[in-house]
Amino acid sequence: MKVRRWLATGALALVMSLGALVGSASFRAEEVSILMPSSFTDASADLVKAFNHQHRGRIHLKLIRGPLNTESISDLAISSLLLGDAPFDALLMDVTWLPKYAAAGWLEPLDTWFDRRDQEQLVQGARLGNDYDGHLYRWPLVADVGMLYWRTDLMDQPPTTPEELVAVAGRLVESQAVTNGFVWQGRQYEGLSCAFLEVLKGFGGNWMDTSSYTMELDTSAATAAASWLNDLISEGVSPYAVTNYAEAESLQAFKAGDAAMMRNWPYAWAELQKDDSRVKGKVGISLMVAQQGQRPGATLGSWGLSLMRQSQHQEAAVEAIRYLTSEAAQRERFLNNGYTPIQAELFNDTEMLKASPVLSDLMEALNHAVVRPPTPLYAQLSDVVQRELNGLFTDAGSADEAMATSQKLSQTLLRATGATP
Amino acid sequence: MTLLLASPALLLIAVVFGWPMLRYAWLSFHAHSVLTGLEPMANGGANWLRLAVDQRFWLDAGQTARFALISVGLELLLALAIALLLHQRWRGRGAVRALTLLPWALPTTMMALGWRWIFNSPYGPIEVLARSLGLNSLDLLSTPSITWLVTVFADVWKTTPFITLILLAGLQSIPEDLYGAFRLEGGTPVQALRSVTLPLLLPYILLSLLFRLAQAFGVFDLVQVLTGGGPAGSTESIALYAYFNGMRFLDFGYSSTVMLAGFLLLTSLILVGTLLLKSFGVLRHIDP
Amino acid sequence: MTRGLMTRRSLLIALVLIWSLGPMLWQLLSSFTTAEALVNDELSFWSRWTLNNYRDLLITDPPFWRYLFNSSFVASLTTLLTLMLAIPAAYGMAKLPHRLKGSLRAAVVGAALFPYVLLFLALLELARTFSLGNNLIAISIPYSALSMPLALLLLTAAFEALPNDLEDAARLEGLSLSQRLRWVLLPLIAPASASTAILVFLFAWNEYPLALTWLSRSDLLTLPVAIARIAGSSTYSVPFGTYAAATVLGAIPLLVLVLVFQRQIVSGLTNGAIKG
Repeated sequence: MKVRRWLATGALALVMSLGALVGSASFRAEEVSILMPSSFTDASADLVKAFNHQHRGRIHLKLIRGPLNTESISDLAISSLLLGDAPFDALLMDVTWLPKYAAAGWLEPLDTWFDRRDQEQLVQGARLGNDYDGHLYRWPLVADVGMLYWRTDLMDQPPTTPEELVAVAGRLVESQAVTNGFVWQGRQYEGLSCAFLEVLKGFGGNWMDTSSYTMELDTSAATAAASWLNDLISEGVSPYAVTNYAEAESLQAFKAGDAAMMRNWPYAWAELQKDDSRVKGKVGISLMVAQQGQRPGATLGSWGLSLMRQSQHQEAAVEAIRYLTSEAAQRERFLNNGYTPIQAELFNDTEMLKASPVLSDLMEALNHAVVRPPTPLYAQLSDVVQRELNGLFTDAGSADEAMATSQKLSQTLLRATGATP
Repeated sequence: MTLLLASPALLLIAVVFGWPMLRYAWLSFHAHSVLTGLEPMANGGANWLRLAVDQRFWLDAGQTARFALISVGLELLLALAIALLLHQRWRGRGAVRALTLLPWALPTTMMALGWRWIFNSPYGPIEVLARSLGLNSLDLLSTPSITWLVTVFADVWKTTPFITLILLAGLQSIPEDLYGAFRLEGGTPVQALRSVTLPLLLPYILLSLLFRLAQAFGVFDLVQVLTGGGPAGSTESIALYAYFNGMRFLDFGYSSTVMLAGFLLLTSLILVGTLLLKSFGVLRHIDP
Repeated sequence: MTRGLMTRRSLLIALVLIWSLGPMLWQLLSSFTTAEALVNDELSFWSRWTLNNYRDLLITDPPFWRYLFNSSFVASLTTLLTLMLAIPAAYGMAKLPHRLKGSLRAAVVGAALFPYVLLFLALLELARTFSLGNNLIAISIPYSALSMPLALLLLTAAFEALPNDLEDAARLEGLSLSQRLRWVLLPLIAPASASTAILVFLFAWNEYPLALTWLSRSDLLTLPVAIARIAGSSTYSVPFGTYAAATVLGAIPLLVLVLVFQRQIVSGLTNGAIKG
């Protein structure tokens, strides 16, 4: 009895291990894995299936589902990279991480695979933020820019200068046509830096010269920009509550019909066209205001794929990167998930235009894209500015002081990290 | 010979606790970031100069101290009440004692996640309860002036059992006859609490205070998972800031400086506290 | 004792129990609730319940029980290593001359008080230098070191409480030091060792910052890190049901542990308080 049971168990084990062997033999394809935030892995599931079908027996692509939160996924990637073994061949990166990762030596330059011709097919904004130190380290997947949303039922055309914006909003609030004039992101977080950069550009200012690590936050343009934002709140053009607004709160207020204008990213458009939106069909998109003679800016927030230096499957990984960023993939992602494409041609495509009437506005904004200072120290520098600006909005104080302090603190930081002597 | 027996363990402690402090002291005088190719490069006192004007650090230090003092204070009061209750004799006391210990035994990150759900807006039970009472949305986890109280609450929930246990041990060490004598003299239970229990419990109270303050000052797990330091940095602790500097900004020089400064602040806090207690004569009862 | 006093006490006890267990019971309830019912309170009572949250946890890659296994492994190894080093060390410390013992003990108490999270960066450097990252055996070394101060305090106190004559008698019988330790002293400090073991086990099971920096491969994560990682990976809908199921599954081993070893935990902590 006992013997028979042993035999049966043994036979079963043999069959199972044989099965495993056969399974692994048919699976000799090169494994490529890419770490992405969960929203992107979920939106790419069909593409991955198609890729694996096409490359059957050669490459097997696997997307690692990372956290949704932008900072958490970077934390996750860094903790792997610091320990010296990255369990992924490529990584989907936010535009602000690139200099840090490149400087740390974790990325493989992509120059050998993507040439000038490839770059020229991209829309202007998508060409930015992919280089560091003269090398291409990232190939864009989707592009994102900050824009001005305005109510077509309250004004005939959007304001183009800061003065116009204040005047229009003031008039609308005074006549009680709308509760608030302009909502944006004033909370102490990265969104505030993005909003500030746009206004800063509109006033002809510059955050810093990254080639020489020269801060330009105490220039008259920068002070004027900060002072304009502060006045929006103190003069009632924007509600005091914007000092605690992130994207979601601004969108909520605008969607409820409580504001005449809003600063937000492209994804807000689809949200505003939903049935529960009180401004459905009454929204236009435009560029952030700029002073006469200055070029308006639209802060670039984009995701792109980078190749890890340690990857053992670089060729295969690049093939996957190409596939995921191909024109067909961009089209699919736009039509199914609303992600902005990066290829210039697609913005004039009839099928795409039918799906979204604002595509040309998006292209216009992408042509005005500006990048946040491309330095490995960006996160800390941005924190200084967020803190000072939010402090300026919520406490008494002058824009001069706030910007002078930002300048000084940034310089101290540069010295301590070894960026400047 | 006996020292030889002790040396492996003591050596391990020395390496794991001592080496980091030495290393931080050295690194705090170096730039060690991606800009230096992740190699240390002497930078004089630039890190310390930066620390001196770093608002974020001083704000975090204040927030950390606030968190530690208030949560440990609340824990102590609550633990005292629970310990007095659990010290009385009644049926099922053992089981209740074990059950109240549970929050302390669970990993912090686990319930931090639980609190995120419980305090979630708009679907968590607290919000639902508030709504049914006709209140507005509380947004407990996204309002800078309130969220730190949620972290205090979570910490009180988790670590009160620890203090309770220590106080229970203290209560058990007080001889019963003392109370009998007090009652004979006509003292009320409240007076007994004040003039017998609390003075004799004092060493235990101070011990748990010291231990918990030091631990609460290093709060990390809770805020990292529950709030990530937000909203707007309002719950960021020194340990979390040091972690961000190291793991997020890849600035090891400054991260070391922050940690060393945090350690020095904690040490001076404890020293000042001890001196104050001594000058009030509280410690005389304990340490002859 | 009057009746009124008793009911008041029952009320207080009930309050204490609700305070301690309420949040966990809420998690238990949530873990069996469908994702839809979590956000919609108008659903009928019978359509609210599900086991899917648990199924979701077990079909992920790696499945959830893997983290339970990792944590158990690390915690057991740490406990073993700590006791192996701490018992002889505590014996040695108990026998030291008074002056030396005093200063050593002060240092150990200081280490026990130390908020160890501040060590993470230097320890991460060590892990990088000696390639100790992503290794469940290696991580038990710092874990042992971090729990060593408490273990030493508890065990030294236990050794000191033993009468000297006992060991003297054993020595006269001709037993060597290791024999004395093994056959005479070890059985006598068994209760203290058990208390120490369970506290060390709990520490290692719950430890977060070091695990966060030393382990990055998803199949090697310990429970606290895995849970925190689940928290970050939500997409559009918020999978609080799955979170809740994770907390329940993660809590069960500890629940059993605490209920079974309640006595050891209490005596360990209180002895630590009295003698440490």
